Amino acid sequence: MEQLINIKNLTKKFNFPVKNTSKNWLKNLVRPDTKEVVAVDNISFSVNKGERIAFIGPNGAGKSTTIKMLTGIIFPTSGSIDILGFDPTEDRKKLAYQIGTVFGQRSQLLPNLPITDSLEFFGVMYDLSDQQIKKRSQELIEIFELSSFIDQPVRKLSLGQRMRAEVAVSLIHQPKIILLDEPTIGLDVVAKKSLRDLLMKVNKEDGVTIFLTSHDVGDIESLCDRTIIIDNGQIIKDLATRDLAQTFIFEKYIDLVSDNKFTNFFQLPKGLRYTTKAPNQITVVVDLQQISVKEAIKKLLDIFDVSDIDVYDADMETVIRYIYERDKASQ
Amino acid sequence: MKEIRLANKIITKLVKDHVHYPDRLIADTFSMLARCGVLLVLYWYVFRLNGGVVNGVTFVVTAWSIFFYFSFSTLRLRDVSRSIMHDVQTGSVEVLFNKPISYLLYRFWWQIGFGLYSFLVVTIFGVLILYFLIGVPESMTLTLFLPTYLVTLIGASFLSLILYGIVGLLAFWIEDVNPVFWMVDKAVMILGGSYLAVALFPKFLYQAALYSPFGASLFVTHTVYDSWQSNWYILLAWQFFWIVFLGTVMHFLFVRAQKKVSINGG
Repeated sequence: MEQLINIKNLTKKFNFPVKNTSKNWLKNLVRPDTKEVVAVDNISFSVNKGERIAFIGPNGAGKSTTIKMLTGIIFPTSGSIDILGFDPTEDRKKLAYQIGTVFGQRSQLLPNLPITDSLEFFGVMYDLSDQQIKKRSQELIEIFELSSFIDQPVRKLSLGQRMRAEVAVSLIHQPKIILLDEPTIGLDVVAKKSLRDLLMKVNKEDGVTIFLTSHDVGDIESLCDRTIIIDNGQIIKDLATRDLAQTFIFEKYIDLVSDNKFTNFFQLPKGLRYTTKAPNQITVVVDLQQISVKEAIKKLLDIFDVSDIDVYDADMETVIRYIYERDKASQ
Repeated sequence: MKEIRLANKIITKLVKDHVHYPDRLIADTFSMLARCGVLLVLYWYVFRLNGGVVNGVTFVVTAWSIFFYFSFSTLRLRDVSRSIMHDVQTGSVEVLFNKPISYLLYRFWWQIGFGLYSFLVVTIFGVLILYFLIGVPESMTLTLFLPTYLVTLIGASFLSLILYGIVGLLAFWIEDVNPVFWMVDKAVMILGGSYLAVALFPKFLYQAALYSPFGASLFVTHTVYDSWQSNWYILLAWQFFWIVFLGTVMHFLFVRAQKKVSINGG
């Protein structure tokens, strides 16, 4: 299998000045004390062609720093990165022709003009001929179903439409790898699903390798075949998503709220277990390998008098905690 | 070739954007009318009180010099420093660093594209209005005027972008470059002849206007003076020197700035 990314002993330390209250202002200004933060701590991994990698972890884990070192924006303190045969610190521009990037919280589109202008603009940026730009734009408009809002200025699009356009624009030059930093952040359920399906399509049909960071368990579950978990700058797990799925991806959480207080906490059917038993709210974990969400809701409604119900995935912090605890128990 | 195509694309897209949304042009026109118009009326009155000539310069020459300052300012090249600062503060710089382009050149072309439409419209109409209201000085009828005006306009654009680009790059170290921006901007405005035409400067200030990068970034205001005919090549040489010198400073600053990037997010 062709290896596209190879990272060895990668470390990034940030130094920033901190105020020392025992020093006067002049000393603090001229010779400030510095604090060192190790954002990424000696990580190594590789990515093969066509893989769909989820690079996950809680806030401040080192995900974004890693992705930015991969693209050459941030320079590593030590270690090496080989991405498509390039060293990002030396060959940032050459590498840019081969990769696509999407940062969920930052837009690269031209806000006042329609998407076609952005596609044309980035086509020129990636040195495509006018003919290539026209052909590729048509393909992307079709794949990403942009035609219904193609004439609207970008600033008038919904967040979901904009994110689809962001990904489409990042693929204008047919990159071999697409790096996505929190691509589904802020999207509603329908928009998330649509974006995940499109990314899957691009991976299957064009063989684009996907490397994404996310807080959303759903992104991993439905899109990625491999998951790397990072915490405090260190990789704590690198495993097939299906192995991870056995633990938490096949779990859903259901909150039950009642106008009347819960007094009896009955024995739950197989596949369900309590995580919260409070008079005003019950939280139940559903093991999806044993019972479907639909079935679970039916059974819970038979047991409890409920005024409101909420179904959701485990959050990333819960996942990380779970993995820590499971590893500790197995040692 | 790619750089030229990209520059052309940026400029045409932004001009298209401005044509779609003409509010900026209207704002620029009113701003020009208010600031330049009021100043010219005041100058006209002062010159009249003094018999039509101050420090050997006529009102017509002074008016055109001031007009050239204001028309150049509608290019808004100084805003490049704020654009860079905004990129750094918001982290948008990472999006542009990921593209196969030179970040600074991209920002420069963007700034030119942003102001070009207003500049062209305001300048063309301003020239016509001024021509019919007060006429043109003799210096502007010489064959030397137009080519040297265009050369110094291009030089002034490069120098302004470099000067304000350096200010913007300081955002990689100090984040808020506004205090530095105001100092540089005021120096450019004063030595460029926005408040007082450079021909009316005392000698020491006139020397500073000639030999400092702040004054050199607005040599377009000198092109209407009689002295331009004898010293244009010296001033253009100075402008070129500052472009090369400050361009080198900016390059080294940018190389260091790239290593300073530390973007929010784990």
